[in-house]
Amino acid sequence: MNAIFQKVYDFVDERIGLKTLEAKLMNEPIKGGSRWAYVFGSCLLFIFIMQAITGMLLMFYYIPSADHAYASTQFIIHEVDYGWFILSYHFWGSSAMVVMVFAHMSQVFLWGAYKKPREMIWLVGLVLFVIVMAFGFTGYLLPWDQRAYWATTVGVEIMDKTPIVPGQMTLSRFFVIHVMILPAALMGLAGLHLFFFRSAGPAGPFRGTTEELKAKTDFFFPRQVWKDIVAMAAVFMIICTLAFIEPVQLLEQATPDPGEYHPEPEWYFLFLFQMLRWKIFSGEFGQFLGAIAIPGLFLLLLAALPFIDRSPERNIFKRPIALLSWTVVMIGIVVLTVSAILNREFLD
Amino acid sequence: MGSVQPKIKSKVRCVDGEVGEVAHVIADPLSLDVSHIVVRANGTERQVPVSAIGAVRDDAVQLTCNVAQFSGFPELEREDYVSSKEVEIPHLEDRIRVEPGEVLVPLPVLEKNCARRSFFAGFIKVIGALIGLPLVWPVLRFIMKPMYVPYDNHWIKIGNISKIKTDDVGVQYIFKKSFKDSVLEREEDKNHWLVKASPETLKKIYRHGDITFYDEKGAVVWVNNQTVPYVAFSGKCPHLGCGYKWRSHKTRGQVFLCPCHLSIYDATGMVLDGPAPRSLDVLPIKVAASGDIEIIDVEYKAGKKEQVRIA
Repeated sequence: MNAIFQKVYDFVDERIGLKTLEAKLMNEPIKGGSRWAYVFGSCLLFIFIMQAITGMLLMFYYIPSADHAYASTQFIIHEVDYGWFILSYHFWGSSAMVVMVFAHMSQVFLWGAYKKPREMIWLVGLVLFVIVMAFGFTGYLLPWDQRAYWATTVGVEIMDKTPIVPGQMTLSRFFVIHVMILPAALMGLAGLHLFFFRSAGPAGPFRGTTEELKAKTDFFFPRQVWKDIVAMAAVFMIICTLAFIEPVQLLEQATPDPGEYHPEPEWYFLFLFQMLRWKIFSGEFGQFLGAIAIPGLFLLLLAALPFIDRSPERNIFKRPIALLSWTVVMIGIVVLTVSAILNREFLD
Repeated sequence: MGSVQPKIKSKVRCVDGEVGEVAHVIADPLSLDVSHIVVRANGTERQVPVSAIGAVRDDAVQLTCNVAQFSGFPELEREDYVSSKEVEIPHLEDRIRVEPGEVLVPLPVLEKNCARRSFFAGFIKVIGALIGLPLVWPVLRFIMKPMYVPYDNHWIKIGNISKIKTDDVGVQYIFKKSFKDSVLEREEDKNHWLVKASPETLKKIYRHGDITFYDEKGAVVWVNNQTVPYVAFSGKCPHLGCGYKWRSHKTRGQVFLCPCHLSIYDATGMVLDGPAPRSLDVLPIKVAASGDIEIIDVEYKAGKKEQVRIA
C-alpha cells in the first residue's frame, strides 16, 4: 500500500515538483515563532470551507422559488435526516465567520500588520470583509420566513433606490449572489489574500530584538499548523454545540404583514439597525448618512489606513490613537448592539 | 557586508594561496544578507563568515586569513540548513543573486528536533479526523434522503379494459399520476402496457407461479394470479429505463420494442433479442366488474437481472 502511494507520489512529483511545493508551503519561517494570536486567518478559511460544504448540502433540497423556499427549508429541518443540523451549522457558521472576521481584523490592526509592505493584503482583506457581510445579508432572505422577508425589505430599501418589492426576482437574485457570485469572489480574493501574504511574509511580533526573534523562529509546519487545527477544532465544537442547543427555527412564512413579529436583522447588523433609529439619521438625508455615508466612509478610512498611518512603529502600546480608535469603535458597536436588544422591550 | 555577492564556483584564495571554491552561500533569514560562504576544499566543506572575506572579484573570493587559519573554520553541518528550494522566505533570492537552490538558510533551532515534528504531524492528523469523521454519517444520511422515501402502494385507476380488442397484443394506457415530490405536489403523465393474455400466454407469464409484490419491509402488498387474464407491464424498459412501444418487427412480427438499445420482448414480456437483462416488469393489477383497471405503480431498478424495487 505504502509502496503504491510512494509510486503515485513520485509520479506526480516528477511532473509538478510536489516535494518542492510541499516544502515551500510548510517551511515558512514565522519570525518570533508560532502563536495562538495567528490562528484567526486559518480559522476563517476553515469556517468558509465548512460553510461551502454545508451550503452545497442545503442546495440538495432547497428550492429557490417564492412558493417553495419556505416549505423546502421546513422540509430540510423536519424531513431530511440531520437536515436540522446541517442548516443550523450553516446558520451558526455564518455568525462564527463574522466574529472571526472581527477578531482577524482586530489582530491585524492591533499588531500594525497592515503597514508597509503589507498594504495590499489589508486592502484585499477589506474586500473580503465586505463579501462576508454580503454573504450574511443575502443568505438571510433564502428561508423566506418573516425574519428573512423584513430584514431584506429594509436592507433593499436602503441600498437599492429602484422601486422593487421582494418577490421571485429578488429571491433569485439573492440566491445567485449567495451561492455563485459571492463564493466565487471570496475564493478568488482569499487566494489573492494568501498569495500576497506569502509574498510579503508574516509580520511577526511587534516587539523583540532580532536575536530574540531569531531564537524563537519556527516554521509554519508543524507548530503553527498544530495551533491552527486545535483552534479549528474548538471553533467546530462551538458551532456544533450552538447548532444542538439553538437549532434554526423558522418563523411564519413571509407575508407583507409582520403581525406580532418585530422585524430585526441578524445580530451583526443590529448596530447599524439601531443607529438608523436615531433622530440625527431621520429624513431622507439622515437615512443616507446613517445607512450609506457613514459605513462607506468608515470602510474608506480603513482602506486609506496604511497610507495615512505611515509610521513604521507597530507596537500598539506606542500607537495611542490607533488603540483609542479601535476601543471606541468596538465599544460603539457593543453599545449599539446592546441597546438594540434592550429596545425590544418597548415593542411588546 | 550586505552587498557581498560571492558567486558559486568562484575560486577562494587565502593570503598565502588558493584553497578551493565556493560551494554554497548561507543567508541570514531575517536580514536576507549573506552571512557565510561554504568553501569546498580537499573534500571538506568549510563555513567561512563574511567577516573573513577581504574582497570579491569576478571569479575569485579573497580571504583575509591564511591557509592554516582557513583549516580552523568549522565544517558545514548540512542537516542544520535548508536550501532556498525547501523554504519560503519572501525576496530571499531577489537580494542574493546566486543560482537558485544554492542559497542555504539555517534551520530554526526549534525545527531541529525531529521526534517532536512527527508527534505534531500525528496530532494534526488525529484532530483533523476528529473534525471530519463525526460528519460522515450525518452527511451520508442527509444525502441519501431519496433512498428512504417510502414506496407508493396506492391503487391508481388507469382506464377500462374495453379499450382492448385482441388477445396477446400490447395496448398502451396513459394516465395521470399525482404524487408528492419533496415539497412539490406534482402530476405526471405515465404509461404502462396491458396485454389481454390468451391461455398459453397467461401460462407462460405465470410459469413460476403467482407473482407477489412486497413493500420496503418485505411485507406482501399484493399477489397477482392467473384468475385475471389481464397483465400490466411497467412502461419502463428493464434495460436502462427508456419507454418501449408495441411495434411491428420485420422478422419477428408484433413485439414490444425499445427504441433506445433495441431490446425486443414478446407479448409475455420475455426477452427475444437485445441487451435487456430481464423480462418486462409485471405490475399489481385489479380489474373491477365494470372493467376498470387499477394498478400499483411499482418501479424496479433498470439494468439488473433481478427485480429491485425502488418505488
